[in-house]
Amino acid sequence: MNEPVGRFTTAKTINRGFGVAPALSKGIGVTFVLAVVGSLARVVIPVTIQQTIDKGLQPDDIRIGFIVQMAAVAAVCVVVASLALRQAVYRLGVGAENGLYTMRVKLFEHIHRLSLADHNEERRGALVSRVTSDIETLTMFFSWGALVWLLDGSLMFVVACVMISYDWILALVAFAVSAPLYFVLRNLQRRLVAAYDVAREKNAELLGTVSELVSGTETLRAYQAQTPMLRKSKQAVRKRADAQIRAGVIGAFLFPSGEVFAVFTIVAIICVGVFRGVDSGLTAGSMVGFVFLTYRFLEPIAEFTEVVDQTQTAVAGLRRVLGVLDTPVGPPQAPNPVALPSRDLNIELKDVSFSYSSRLDTQDDDLPVLRRINLEIPARQHVALVGESGSGKTTLARLIARLADPTIGSVFLGGVNLKRVANDELRRRLVVVPQEPFLFAESIAHNLLFAAPNAEREDLEKVIMNLELTDWVQSLPEGLETQVGQRGASLSAGERQLVALARAALTNPDVLILDEATSAVDAIAEVRLAKALQALSVGRTTISIAHRLSTATRADRVIVLERGLVTEDGTHDDLIARGGEYAKIYAQWLSATSVQN
Amino acid sequence: MASIVDESVTSDSANLEARSRFREAAGLVAKIVKFHPRLFVTAVAGAALFAVCTVASSIGLRWMIDKVILVRFNENRSDAGALVIGSVIIIGIGLLRAFGVVIRRSYAGKTEWRTAATLTDRVLDHVVAQPVKWHRSRMTGDVVARCGIDSDASVAILAPLPYSSSVLVMMLVSAAWMLYVDIPLGIVAVCVFPILLSLNIGYQRRIDRYYNQAQKELGTLSEAVHESFDGVMVVKSFGAEQRETDRLAVITGRLRDARIDAVAIRSMFEAMLDAIPTLINIALIVLGALRVRSGQMTVGELSSFIYLFTLLMFPLRIIGYLFSEIPYSVAGWRRIDEVLSETIIADPMRKITTSPRGVGIQVENLSYSHNPDTTLIDGLSLKIDKGKTVALVGATGCGKTTLLHLMAGLIEPCGGSISVGDGGVALVFQEAFLFADTLGYNITLGSEISAEHIEEAIDVAQCREFVGALEGGLDTTMGERGVSLSGGQRQRVALARAIAHNRALLLLDDTTSALDPTTEAKVLNNLRLLAGRQTVLIVASRPSTIALADEVLFMADYRIADRGTHKELLSRSARYQALIRAFEDDRQNR
Repeated sequence: MNEPVGRFTTAKTINRGFGVAPALSKGIGVTFVLAVVGSLARVVIPVTIQQTIDKGLQPDDIRIGFIVQMAAVAAVCVVVASLALRQAVYRLGVGAENGLYTMRVKLFEHIHRLSLADHNEERRGALVSRVTSDIETLTMFFSWGALVWLLDGSLMFVVACVMISYDWILALVAFAVSAPLYFVLRNLQRRLVAAYDVAREKNAELLGTVSELVSGTETLRAYQAQTPMLRKSKQAVRKRADAQIRAGVIGAFLFPSGEVFAVFTIVAIICVGVFRGVDSGLTAGSMVGFVFLTYRFLEPIAEFTEVVDQTQTAVAGLRRVLGVLDTPVGPPQAPNPVALPSRDLNIELKDVSFSYSSRLDTQDDDLPVLRRINLEIPARQHVALVGESGSGKTTLARLIARLADPTIGSVFLGGVNLKRVANDELRRRLVVVPQEPFLFAESIAHNLLFAAPNAEREDLEKVIMNLELTDWVQSLPEGLETQVGQRGASLSAGERQLVALARAALTNPDVLILDEATSAVDAIAEVRLAKALQALSVGRTTISIAHRLSTATRADRVIVLERGLVTEDGTHDDLIARGGEYAKIYAQWLSATSVQN
Repeated sequence: MASIVDESVTSDSANLEARSRFREAAGLVAKIVKFHPRLFVTAVAGAALFAVCTVASSIGLRWMIDKVILVRFNENRSDAGALVIGSVIIIGIGLLRAFGVVIRRSYAGKTEWRTAATLTDRVLDHVVAQPVKWHRSRMTGDVVARCGIDSDASVAILAPLPYSSSVLVMMLVSAAWMLYVDIPLGIVAVCVFPILLSLNIGYQRRIDRYYNQAQKELGTLSEAVHESFDGVMVVKSFGAEQRETDRLAVITGRLRDARIDAVAIRSMFEAMLDAIPTLINIALIVLGALRVRSGQMTVGELSSFIYLFTLLMFPLRIIGYLFSEIPYSVAGWRRIDEVLSETIIADPMRKITTSPRGVGIQVENLSYSHNPDTTLIDGLSLKIDKGKTVALVGATGCGKTTLLHLMAGLIEPCGGSISVGDGGVALVFQEAFLFADTLGYNITLGSEISAEHIEEAIDVAQCREFVGALEGGLDTTMGERGVSLSGGQRQRVALARAIAHNRALLLLDDTTSALDPTTEAKVLNNLRLLAGRQTVLIVASRPSTIALADEVLFMADYRIADRGTHKELLSRSARYQALIRAFEDDRQNR
């Protein structure tokens, strides 16, 4: 999910954006035609002036009747053009909103289907920004930048056409004199974009520094070290201001450049026109009209300069969005799923290796997380996975749960290759209870129903009863309707686990994969958890990632992992008797928790 | 669309609110303009130059039409002198006008960002001066927003001011000019200003309501997305990807609908704001032609009049937009002002005195409470000899951390006294906080500490094995953009920080529990080697850790319930035994 900046050209990026969200480009031709008609309103005045001077206000013959008639025609044109303009703006806006809606929804689904490796803590924030701020840059663009390009672009087009129709020589003069503006703009624009980049960077640095100053305040105070950090923050403040000001000054020179060129162009037109005189077919009215049109022609330049930065920001945002959509999703769906046997789901791992870098390097520093694992776990067996952190036990559990696919080898559930099991069925039959169970900021009942949206109230109560949690639920202020707060913050760590167990029980899975919590919970919750767990695991295949060796002592079977290999496999007593690694870890753990030392 | 209907009902109160908001905005401007008055005045001067030149540019045009174009095309005469003069006027005024724009824009930017910097500096000073108590009563994100986003929002009100002042100047000067050129035509044109202005402001107010609605939906969406992505593991475990997508799609749909409503209004007004001035302009042309016929106006005057009117439409058009930022600015300023006007709470550190020689820490009759109604710690006294390693043991929530924070001078006791050995305190928190800076900075925190001390601290805290592997050594950047360390490694860096600071008293708040027992034992043994220098008070829960201490302070219910060696306490205190048994319950009962 690295950001493929610069991988696509701007045009290709936009094109792909249209592909993802067809509503963005649907009917864009009609919108453009409407915009061209709409910009006719802005050339009405120059044309009316020209007509008035040439045909209505001849020194010897002032024809008010003609002027009024012409004004009426002009007024009708303005009204029609304005209606077209209204339609163009509306179509563009609605198309953009529908398109961005589609893009967001596609992102939601894609992100939820990304593998867990793409969902680690560091990337979470980035993923959230993809669907919020990055799409917002596009919204901003469509509500201003795109309008400017569309309306001002068609205005320039229409004005150029009118100019040529009046007099192609004067039109050429106008284009020739204003042409160098293009190079001035390009040069300044490049600097401006670079300056904005710096400003954004400095802004991010400022926010980073300040947020550290604030969130690290206890640490800083504990060492009375606020002053250096404050100095650093103020430096960041000053640098940010400098960068913003620099960008502002470049923009200040860029902004009026169109008007400066307009002035020179107008003088040039008048000089050429006056030199050519009446014989060339030019009239006083068309000369005046030309002057007005020149302003109109160069007027959009200032606005263009304002939206270029916004446009680039939007393209960069789109590029990042496409980058996420290009990231392959986690385990892909089975195309022709095979049904699982109705009962007795045993688990089998055949020659399974796993590496996060997706290729199996033989170099020592990039060892695969799991190496050639062969395991058979009969149905209803209780297995404890034991090993140091980094030994691969979490990864092994994830492969069994198909939260990731092995790089080499296969995992079988009830004799069926996991890759051929439908996701829906797998999730009904096998449930993972993670170390830090996540709860939504809703009621307990709502969180339970997340596992089984169609469950009835009685089902919830039955599960609560089976897990011996009735008295706990009754002790809560509003029973099952108690709100759990952000990420379940109103509950204790132990209580959150209780909810997670009940949630898992509600789906009545055949296989239960349990990542034990490392953090200690208070004694009463501990007892409740142990009981609930006991009740939950009866009659199910249970795989526990054991952080407490007490879990291992109670399991039917202990599997010890070391650096991605299964090194020991047997009952607790067997392994103790064998005197290997497990016996060593166990002895260490005994001494660390012993009363008499 | 419903909110349009109820507008008439609420318009009175809305007006009142708008007026008081305007007063607040004016107050805000008056206050922050004073930070950098010279920059602001320069920007306004540039704006005034721009405004005057805009009106004056019609002079050049009139000259060219009357004295050059009409002369050449209607009378077929050439006047080279007039052409040169006209060209000079047009180019001269055009350049002056551009110069005005450059000054206005660059100085408006300078005013805005320098003011933002000044505001941020002030907020930072306040935030840093406030002790831990203040910070704990606030969300980190909220305080950061007040330092950053809010000060940017407050100064956003300054950005359009120079331009707005130029619009005002332009309207006044051009009104005078138009009336001077031709009174009847001038009156018609001038009447148009207020109409367009109010149309514009009314539109802005209405559209803002839709934008606010959309903004609210965006906030809801952002929150829901955060939660949904945070819960990805649960979503995957229950195969709820599609359900979550659908749920988020509903919120996104509401956002889209709110925005489409805004587009509907906006497209209509955009078209109206385009059409109305143009229609008036056409009317002016007809009226002007009548004036030309009656000989009260020249064609050049009429053309320049129309030109000026066209030129004025753009600023009138965007003026409503210019002020749409005001509510955000005012809201941002309110939040900043809240921080700035709060009194700074006295630093609790001032109460900590130096203990007599040979005493590591002495606490006498200490009391503490979170709020006035309850007393948590009441009359707690203890004394630890210099150089001792003492374990502080107690159940969760018995006040160990609070006691440590009191000793470190982070929070202020209600009564009693704390004195520590000469050289101060170093506290290592339960959770290590590392700064996104170099490893060296994370150890020194900007203090002058000799390389020797740093190296020693790295060894004592058992950081050597992973620090040695870092290519950049002490200059390696930590955190998001640099090396990320594991929880245990972070704890050891925090420990190295405390040791390098070489304070008389070292407080460890369950710091070593994130380490595996072997590393923990090594660290604690290393610390004992320093014991002559430092007094160590360590919150511990592992029996093996507790056993390493010279002495144990047993804390229960915010009191020191007992004190002695681990063995003594085990043999005489039933509560202590029960607690230690709870720590090992794990092994026996499960």
